[in-house]
Amino acid sequence: MQSSKQPLKAGSSSEGFKKPAVFTVTAIVAGLAIEWLTSGSGISVPNWPVNFYFLVVLTVVIALVGLKFRDQPLVSWLGGIPVGLSLIIGLAMLSLIGGVIPQDAAKPDSLASLLRLNGMFSSWPFAFVTLLFLFNLGLSFVWKIVPFRVANLQFILFHGGFWIALSCGLLGSSDLQRLVIPLYEGQESSVAYEMPSERPVHVPYSIYLKEFKIDEYVPQFALYDPSTDKVIADKSKLLPEVKKGARAEWPGIASVTVLDYLPSAIPDSNGNLVPDQGKKGVSVAKVRIVADGKSYEEWITDGGPEIKPRFVPVGKYFLGMMAGQPKAFRSDVMIRGASGERRTELLEVNKPIDFHGWKLYQMGYDEKAGRWSTMSLVEAVNDPWLPAVYCGFFMIMAGNLLYFWKGVKKMEAA
Amino acid sequence: MTLNEFPVIAKAAIACWGLGSLLQIPARKSKAFQGISWLFLLSGTMVLVWFLASYWIALERPPLRTLGETRLWYATLIPVVGFLVEYRWKIKWLKYYCLGLAAFFLGINVVYPDVFQKALMPALQSVWFIPHVVVYLVAYVLLAASSVSGWHNVLLNFRSKRSTVSESMSHYLALLGFVLLTFGLVFGALWAKEAWGHYWTWDPKETWAFISWLAYLGYLHLVARKTDPRSLQWYLGLAFLVLLVCWFGVNYLPSAQNSVHTYSG
Repeated sequence: MQSSKQPLKAGSSSEGFKKPAVFTVTAIVAGLAIEWLTSGSGISVPNWPVNFYFLVVLTVVIALVGLKFRDQPLVSWLGGIPVGLSLIIGLAMLSLIGGVIPQDAAKPDSLASLLRLNGMFSSWPFAFVTLLFLFNLGLSFVWKIVPFRVANLQFILFHGGFWIALSCGLLGSSDLQRLVIPLYEGQESSVAYEMPSERPVHVPYSIYLKEFKIDEYVPQFALYDPSTDKVIADKSKLLPEVKKGARAEWPGIASVTVLDYLPSAIPDSNGNLVPDQGKKGVSVAKVRIVADGKSYEEWITDGGPEIKPRFVPVGKYFLGMMAGQPKAFRSDVMIRGASGERRTELLEVNKPIDFHGWKLYQMGYDEKAGRWSTMSLVEAVNDPWLPAVYCGFFMIMAGNLLYFWKGVKKMEAA
Repeated sequence: MTLNEFPVIAKAAIACWGLGSLLQIPARKSKAFQGISWLFLLSGTMVLVWFLASYWIALERPPLRTLGETRLWYATLIPVVGFLVEYRWKIKWLKYYCLGLAAFFLGINVVYPDVFQKALMPALQSVWFIPHVVVYLVAYVLLAASSVSGWHNVLLNFRSKRSTVSESMSHYLALLGFVLLTFGLVFGALWAKEAWGHYWTWDPKETWAFISWLAYLGYLHLVARKTDPRSLQWYLGLAFLVLLVCWFGVNYLPSAQNSVHTYSG
């Protein structure tokens, strides 16, 4: 390949970028000024249907301006790359501030609070830059649609998808409902809570929690050194697993063999541990310990509500068991709609279910009670704008695929 | 295989790459040396592929959760980009940068060993886990290569030895990287909807992913504006710094206190 070949045309660089930069900075400064004057109160997106009307008006204005005044220098400037690029940089800069400064409550008289830097994504500067960006993106989109050419499909899909996802995602954020429904085993509830205000809301269905269940990873051995207050582990901090037949070795200290392991057991009236399928059982392991030339058998447990954790001395150390981390947790529920319709479902993380426009998620449980929790937290989400945003996402991905294909073809030709 | 064996594996890979690179000197004049050199270069990467596979089996989950694990993938994949670039554009120098970067990341993992932990929190047990992380990793690898190439071109330009082929390579690496970055971002949003209830929450990691995406979107618009490719080499060189913040730096920012991505620390 010849190194003299021109892969990209050289041309103007900073030319034409000064005015767009001033334009973007002005929008940001104006937004910051509004925040300053209103003590950082931010912007609230109106609810349905006002946000929808706004979107329609915005779309119509962009389409009309784009098509009717296409030849006007101001309009072609507004829809051009320099303005788009300046606004992209503006968005990136504002996002950068939002990505560095914690986006939560700040002291009311602090600079971050007065300029709403702690709530960047609902601030006036962000709204101004986004609105102008939507205008710019929208104009370029309209110009590629009319007249339509197949060669512009990649541009249309990518830019149109981004426009739809951005506009509908931001305008629809006010209609998004995210509620938390606490459920207790054996009880039915239709009371949800808005977070973080904890304001109760009645949802148009009720959920009965039959059972909440947690699967845990297998417990791990812990050889505790009281002199250092640490658990002894090798370089990779790998703690041996407690499984029947497993053998763990701490060189120079002890070796331990698991003779028997019961994932869930409770003591009977004689103090013997017997398997238990109920909620009260604890993980128990019977182990043979070989240390200082002696061999002896003991049992250890990580404990639970009915039984305390049991550690056994091994020389100057103590051998115990650490509960495994949660692997999966799920709620066996029965949902009843307003019309009396009933559905039995299993709610699990990453496997939400749909019920009359609501998505129900397994969110959490009583972490203090761990696997003995009888309480389950379900999140109920209603996002009427989701189909539009997803439409945008899929258009972006389709445009992206075409871009990849075109890029590879160009690369081959280069 | 656990992390106890990792230092030996890392040293073996670096030794293979080092030897392979040294053998490139006599390989200029001898086809036999060229073959042996490539055997060593590829062996270095194969050692890591083998380690990754056996580590995956030992962990009983994809080794894609912690930053250390992503560095391991990165160290495995980035030399492959260097090798493919040499195959595609006959540009030899990129692979040395890539090997250097890979050795650097292996070194970090040797000095700061990861914790061997099989547990994978329920939110990560998703069909989106592997596509989201792998697509991002490959994007990062390509964009790192474009950044390295960008810096190399900046140096070439200083020495008045401009190579438009090399500039073209930086561009296409960035273009492919951007395509994958976009997929990674959208996959992440779709996964977030299934796992956390909403596709976008301006979580610090999401915000930085958006910033890095905008940075490369800006680059592509500068290209569309027919900006001088010599200036764009600076841009590509610097843009990767934003990605580095997104990848490693976010955890150290004040905004990261409440991030849902803290598992990747």
